[in-house]
Amino acid sequence: MKRSFLEKLFDSILYIIMIFVIAITIYPFINILAISFNESLDSIKGGIYLWPRKFTFENYTEIFKYANIGQALFISISRTVIGTLSGLICSCMIAYTLSRKDYFLRRPIGALLVITMYVSGGMIPEYMLIRQLNLVGKFWVYILPGLVWAFNVIVLRSFMESLPYEIQESAKIDGANDLQIFFKIVMPLCKPAIAVVALFIAVGQWNSWFDTYLYASNKANLTTLQFEMMKILSNLSASQNMAQRAAMAGMVAERNRISPESVRMAITVVATAPIIMIYPFIQKYFVSGMTIGAVKS
Amino acid sequence: MKRGGQEMSKTKSLLSLVLCLVLCVSVITGCGAGKNKQTSKDDNTKSNVEKKEDDKKGTDIDTSPITLTMFSVDVNPVETGFQSPVAKKITEATGVTIEFEYPVGDVAQKMGIMIASKEYPDMIFAKTQELTQLVQADAIVDLTSLIEQHGPNVENLYGEYLNRLRFSQEDPSIYALGASPVDEETWAPVNGFQLQHAVVKDLGFPKLETLEDYENAIREYMKKYPTIDGQPTIGLSLLADDWRWLISVGNPAGFATGAPDDGNWFINPKTYEAKYRFTREEEKEYYRWLNHMYNEGLIDPDSFVQTWDQYIAKISTGRVLAIADANWEFGSAEDALRADGKAERTYGMYPLQLTKDSKHQDFRDVGYSGGNGICITKDSPNQVRAMQFLDWMCTDEAQILNNWGIEGIHYTVEDGKRVVSDEEYKKRTTDGTNYKKETGIEVYTHPFPRWGRGKLDSTGNPYVVDSVDLIKQRYTEPEKEVLKAYGVEMWKDLYPSRDEIPKSDWGAAFLVNIPAESEIPVILERCDSIMRQSIVQSIIAKPGEFDDVWQKAMDELKSSGVEEMNKDFTNLVNKQIEFWK
Repeated sequence: MKRSFLEKLFDSILYIIMIFVIAITIYPFINILAISFNESLDSIKGGIYLWPRKFTFENYTEIFKYANIGQALFISISRTVIGTLSGLICSCMIAYTLSRKDYFLRRPIGALLVITMYVSGGMIPEYMLIRQLNLVGKFWVYILPGLVWAFNVIVLRSFMESLPYEIQESAKIDGANDLQIFFKIVMPLCKPAIAVVALFIAVGQWNSWFDTYLYASNKANLTTLQFEMMKILSNLSASQNMAQRAAMAGMVAERNRISPESVRMAITVVATAPIIMIYPFIQKYFVSGMTIGAVKS
Repeated sequence: MKRGGQEMSKTKSLLSLVLCLVLCVSVITGCGAGKNKQTSKDDNTKSNVEKKEDDKKGTDIDTSPITLTMFSVDVNPVETGFQSPVAKKITEATGVTIEFEYPVGDVAQKMGIMIASKEYPDMIFAKTQELTQLVQADAIVDLTSLIEQHGPNVENLYGEYLNRLRFSQEDPSIYALGASPVDEETWAPVNGFQLQHAVVKDLGFPKLETLEDYENAIREYMKKYPTIDGQPTIGLSLLADDWRWLISVGNPAGFATGAPDDGNWFINPKTYEAKYRFTREEEKEYYRWLNHMYNEGLIDPDSFVQTWDQYIAKISTGRVLAIADANWEFGSAEDALRADGKAERTYGMYPLQLTKDSKHQDFRDVGYSGGNGICITKDSPNQVRAMQFLDWMCTDEAQILNNWGIEGIHYTVEDGKRVVSDEEYKKRTTDGTNYKKETGIEVYTHPFPRWGRGKLDSTGNPYVVDSVDLIKQRYTEPEKEVLKAYGVEMWKDLYPSRDEIPKSDWGAAFLVNIPAESEIPVILERCDSIMRQSIVQSIIAKPGEFDDVWQKAMDELKSSGVEEMNKDFTNLVNKQIEFWK
């Protein structure tokens, strides 16, 4: 069927809008990439948009000069993998239990969960709690406290509730117990939701540095990649402050050739690159399973 | 019937499970709490015993190995785990190794957690705000008796300023050993009006004493060179980004009219009356001059909308002829210009005044201001060792070690004079950060007690490695040319010297201790936001409207309570002066 002119026009307008949106979304990343590969003293002059004017690796070598990168990388990856797997299993199990209408504590526990999303004790009570649980300075402080997020449980529960109950009933009739139903029937059907939740948890684990700061800042073997980055940043600002203070006192101190802003860009690239690289591989799980097929009840 | 029975047992088993869990949890908590209590008791007895032993020794320094923990509010980027040659020497002399901890991000959060969890290190370097918090939390000790018993060198270093370290009239304890260097000379101006070297050179080094001279120089040069490197020339560029408006737009009004840097205040040196600086008639006239400049097109039209990054970028291109800023705010731009080989586009500093009747007070002597400093925590079992360590850091031996390094390696003594070889000095200045990391020199100066630049020891050698000659060596060629043409050797020679300016009996007004309950900070913030807007409006207004805009601002200030604030602050200043007499 020949497409009418109006349809072609509409399509091209859509294309233009989409390209515009993509450009706006991608531009900041490309800009950060460009500045991170540009000489620091040159970046100060501004005007760097899509590609570096004076290409250099100096911002990156500056980072690697400072950090305890090997151990940090190991810990970051460990906590991301372990945290994601354990968080996933726990959240899924809770979600499944809450999705079963025949569970008698469904309403109260569901309510409790939702309350935690809005109300929290604050940073200091949290710190005291972690301390009393003897988790300070241990690897498990990265995993245990943040194991279950109410939000994730709700996402999973909603998805599971949307699955037709007939499937579970038929499995029960065939003699499956709850655990078997959970692992063999419900989980495989929830792949899209699981992918989403896994991504949330993984990104959360990968990006967190504040818990390292609070609970493990003096343990060199428990440092994470993001925390090392933050330390580099604060070291650099401190150097800048020192130079400022010396200048304030009238001394022309030798100044840093590398400004914190350029290193900040390099840090952003290093911190987000792994996530950006992994995401395309997970994306298919978001798309598939969305059209699971009609249920013939 | 059967079904009912099954359900009943299900409920029963669930209930019993829950009860078991509750029981277990309470047992575990009970055990845990008991254990904690016991360990803290052990610590107390240990510290008591240690203290007694140390007291017996008196002022004999204990050099057994010990690690002291210290939290420092200022990150020290060149400290590398107390392993450098200088650090090892410190450990050799005192037995002490220090483990530093720094905040990452927000200091207030870290302080909050420290105070709430009551887990303190042995020593804390804190600024005035945090010190007040620590005092309120009853976390730090009064150092007076420790200094008397174990701190002879501390007393020697601070000398007459020791009583300025006291906290307040109501609480005259000494909580912190001041981190500012004692008896420091200033050899370079920090504030002034900047003008490019290229401009003064091109105009034949005209007389620059008043803002009118400044204006003429800018106007002439702009007419001659409407573009620089292909981009339009900018006369005077101001910066009003966030808090920086106070430095670039607010402060120069005072500096150009003979007021010293007292932050938001002007204090009459004879009557000690304090007032909010923008209420001065003289500052109004400065802004009238800026208004005039603006209407002549000599001021950068983007001044009030640009961010600091844009400002620096603009300056780095070399087309901004003049700025009115503190030298540390545009330092990175000058670095970029020098790296580009455009040293003639960097700036000279001139103590310009609105009229010939006033003098630039940049070199005012403020005596010694306490405030920031190192304190020792109450719970520390090593209070005496900490004070002994700090005392040792005040000795000549320590001061020379921290500033000069190790004799024979980093400096030599020739004919009684300490000398740093040219080669070594080059290493110190060109790659200073790495030099400091590798040697440990100038790493343990701030925030520990120390002598200032220019202070000489008993052998006539300076404590700090810096001198007038070294500064002159660092001048760029265009700088040297300009200085020569104006008949001076250093920028500071253009300025009125310290002795020409009335001394301050109150330190620096922005360091005056303001009690927590005072209304002053609230009113101050209101006044600042009123003035920030009004000043900008008055500058971009048409010349005829200036007076009206200004009068409106003054009226708004009055209704915000500026007069009570002035009275309150005057009282505080008077108290401070009394307290320090």
